[in-house]
Amino acid sequence: MRRDKHIRWLIAPALVLLAAGTLYPIIYAGYLSLLQWNWGSEAKFVGLRNFARILSGTGFPKALFNTFYFAVFAVVIETFLGLGLALAINRIRIGAGLIRTLMILPLMVSGIAVSLIWKVMLDPTLGIINYLLSLVGIAGPAWLGTVPTAMPSIIMIDTWWQTAFTFIILSSALKSLPAEPFEAARLEGATPFQTFRHVTLPMLKPVLITIIIFRTIDTLKVFDIIFGTTGGGPLRATESVQTLAYQTAFKSYKFGESAAIAVVFSLIILTLCIIYLMIDTDDGEKA
Amino acid sequence: MTASSSARRALWPYAVAIVAVAVSLFPIFWILTIALKTQVDAFAMPPVWFFTPVWENFGKAWSSTGFSGAFFNSLIVCAIGNVLALAAGIPAAYYLNKKHVPGRRTILIWLLISYMLPEFLFIVPMYVLFQSIGLYDTVIGLALIYQVFTLPFTIWLLRAFFADIPEALAEAARLEGASTFRIVWTIYVPIAAPGIAATVILNSIKMWNELTIALALTFEKAQTVTLAVASFRGYASIDWGAMSAASIIIILPMALFAILAQRRIVQGLSLGAVK
Amino acid sequence: MKRRGFITLAAVLAASALSTSAFAIDWKQQSGQEITVLLSEHPWTAELRKHVGEFEAETGIKVKIDAFAEDLYSDRMNLAVRSADSVADVYMIQMDSALYTQWEAGAVEPLTPYLNDAAKTDADYDLADYPEGFRAGASFPVGEPDPQLYAIPISFEAYTLFYNKELVEKYLGGKVPATMDGLIAAANEISAKGEGKVFGASMRGKRSAELVDTMTGIVLDAWGNEPADLPYNIWFDGDWAKPRFNDPRIAKGLSYYAGLLKAGPPSALSYGWEDASRFFSQGNAAFFVDASVFGPGFEDAKTSAIAGKVGYAPLPASTGDIGYSGHWSWGISIAKNSTKKDAAWLFVQWATNRKMTAALGVATGGAPRDSAWADPDYVKALDAGYVAAVKTQMQHTRPTSVFRQGWNDVVLMIVDAIHQIYQGTAPEDAVAELQTNVQDTLE
Repeated sequence: MRRDKHIRWLIAPALVLLAAGTLYPIIYAGYLSLLQWNWGSEAKFVGLRNFARILSGTGFPKALFNTFYFAVFAVVIETFLGLGLALAINRIRIGAGLIRTLMILPLMVSGIAVSLIWKVMLDPTLGIINYLLSLVGIAGPAWLGTVPTAMPSIIMIDTWWQTAFTFIILSSALKSLPAEPFEAARLEGATPFQTFRHVTLPMLKPVLITIIIFRTIDTLKVFDIIFGTTGGGPLRATESVQTLAYQTAFKSYKFGESAAIAVVFSLIILTLCIIYLMIDTDDGEKA
Repeated sequence: MTASSSARRALWPYAVAIVAVAVSLFPIFWILTIALKTQVDAFAMPPVWFFTPVWENFGKAWSSTGFSGAFFNSLIVCAIGNVLALAAGIPAAYYLNKKHVPGRRTILIWLLISYMLPEFLFIVPMYVLFQSIGLYDTVIGLALIYQVFTLPFTIWLLRAFFADIPEALAEAARLEGASTFRIVWTIYVPIAAPGIAATVILNSIKMWNELTIALALTFEKAQTVTLAVASFRGYASIDWGAMSAASIIIILPMALFAILAQRRIVQGLSLGAVK
Repeated sequence: MKRRGFITLAAVLAASALSTSAFAIDWKQQSGQEITVLLSEHPWTAELRKHVGEFEAETGIKVKIDAFAEDLYSDRMNLAVRSADSVADVYMIQMDSALYTQWEAGAVEPLTPYLNDAAKTDADYDLADYPEGFRAGASFPVGEPDPQLYAIPISFEAYTLFYNKELVEKYLGGKVPATMDGLIAAANEISAKGEGKVFGASMRGKRSAELVDTMTGIVLDAWGNEPADLPYNIWFDGDWAKPRFNDPRIAKGLSYYAGLLKAGPPSALSYGWEDASRFFSQGNAAFFVDASVFGPGFEDAKTSAIAGKVGYAPLPASTGDIGYSGHWSWGISIAKNSTKKDAAWLFVQWATNRKMTAALGVATGGAPRDSAWADPDYVKALDAGYVAAVKTQMQHTRPTSVFRQGWNDVVLMIVDAIHQIYQGTAPEDAVAELQTNVQDTLE
């Protein structure tokens, strides 16, 4: 147990950095959510009124629904797709490095550029996607322009943009897995599927869980691709919690309400994370 | 197994790769066409397939005010940000992998809280704080504040990679009298090298493309490249050509970095490995 | 002859010497200072950059220009102006509730003291050259007898009708509709015949506060020439406690907007200004109602496929003969937290004097001084049809501003009402719901 003393030094730098960067904003946000502040010189203490307003209005619940709808689909699609692609590319001998780099290029495009280019490509009249579809006889939908197709279009854009994230991590993970278990499985005559299910998957579990947690948080915070394309419309069909909170603060100058949105939302995500951590008790404990 | 089915088995990954690469590259190719065409041609429908390239958009993008400076600022911020994240994150990841360390759950959750803070919310208090301690409009200030998301991600992901490393290796090394530092540096880091490479690449991309925090906490000395791209979006007109050219220019360092990073980081880190 | 000529010359010289010494200020009084000017990426900014050297030479003041894209600009400007430390001295400001909110927060410097100080302001600056309606967007407190001015307008926009001459020729026999009802009918006709490639109208439609001015302009047209006093504009009956969003004229105006959207492409509800203007400039729509500031861009052959084929007209009338509309402008102000206010004022004065207003207006098509529209160089640089249309419209525009904090929230609700009408709700029902929503929000 005498080694424990030194071990604590391992975590110290990280803790210091984190505390410095996050304590102040979190406390500030908590305090701000109890105020009515218009970014001017006066602020009024209003207690829990901001929370009552956002929970009883139509904006926040709809944005919450939209955000979860988006997050669930995006994370599921991107994780499965990323895993499938990683497994496939892992079998390639020639040019694997080049292929991997090309496949993560979408991730390198900034949020603004992604929104703008997809908005242009998905324009029903002037966009290239509907043009290409028309060449094979399909009449393309209005993508971002109608209520039923808007959110699926956003999910599609995010899939193009962020699948590379799960892909590159899983690809690296596959590369760094020890070889012995695979040898053993091969010697026992396991089919590829059996190998995947009983050897690959368990070893990938910690990485998969991490990816899912972070991707979930990222998708719940979705902002750029919605703000840059539809602005939350049409008719609020794509409004996410963060676009709503941003508009409430910087456009309506209701900083207190915006902070309340952030607080409620963070509590929801936090609860989910804690539940997740409770259920998954053996991550990090590998034989 | 017949010859054709085994050929199919060997070929299907390539087929998948081709489709995936084509889908990944098409929109980027489209941005490139906008950068190379006149605006009228760029948005013409049906598309104009044959055209004389307009190279000046690239020149315009690079020489526009502050772009090259912003470019180098972003590079420096990424470099410092990664160093900080790894220096603090690798030990922390090792630490948090142990089952019985105090505060493990709390720290892990705190990391997630930090990651999920909406940026636009903490820029208002951080703006005030940074101005008072002199970190406003500095690259080091930016690299520090970026730790709010790079550090949690680094720690969590490396933790997952470290988890796949058999404890037996560490035990054996400890029996030989190795210090914790040596164990981490010579066993864990080399084996998790692909994971570290992935972490560095992903952190870099995130910092490189970050907008909200850079908008609030820099003014002109430490302005990053994403802001510079946004400036092509004017009022009542967008310089689509220059903006697209700028977007392409910005992707290049990241792409180059990704190619080099995968090979070099893995190689470099493996050099310290103890077999 | 020679003697008289000589005396005349001497008299003129003497008079000019007198006038310069009595009324001109010392432009070098702040020499050696450096100021930071925070601007939005606007045609005005682009043009300003070409002339800044003249100011620096004349005053010895060094100018640092920091410009940002419009959607980033607002946040950046607000952070700079409301911070404790000085970040920018002069900045561009939207002369509507944005400026009003800043004034309420005590972040803007009043300019009236500088204007009245003979040592700081040239006698030939002539503030009255700016129409009263344009200055109204920066005069606070509103309704008081002696408001102070907090910004000088630099570029105004009137909401007018742009049309594609070729398409109007082809589908309407060259006849531009004279009434709003006629315009919508004509637009629908073109969409029906356009085979999915050509549409009647291209408009901003996305759910965003950016629709505020275009939308208000069209509703002002439906409002006609009834009073529309600030700070309430048409939306409130002289008192914040008396919203009248369910007024039939407002219903009519919003249904005009929805009608124009409906005569547009299927993605109309996601279109921002850049999409709507691009759609029009690619030749895919016959009509475009929006800010006059788009005009000069449409005439640029490098970015517009319809250069030379654009027609300009005031908004068609809703009732009667005159089409009313709205105007809105950008202004420049001095930040209250600036430590170089006098140098900043010299810059503001220079950038907004007669000469510069006309010179910079060439890029924006919206010089806010009356004298600019008589300036031959200014008028020559713009399309003749554009000048005629804007000059006419300028006689019948009102400010689109509403001086109330949180107005953007209400604008989003108005846009929602437009979207509802677009989707088939009866205008009366949509505005009835709007009235309820606004009452709930404003309490």
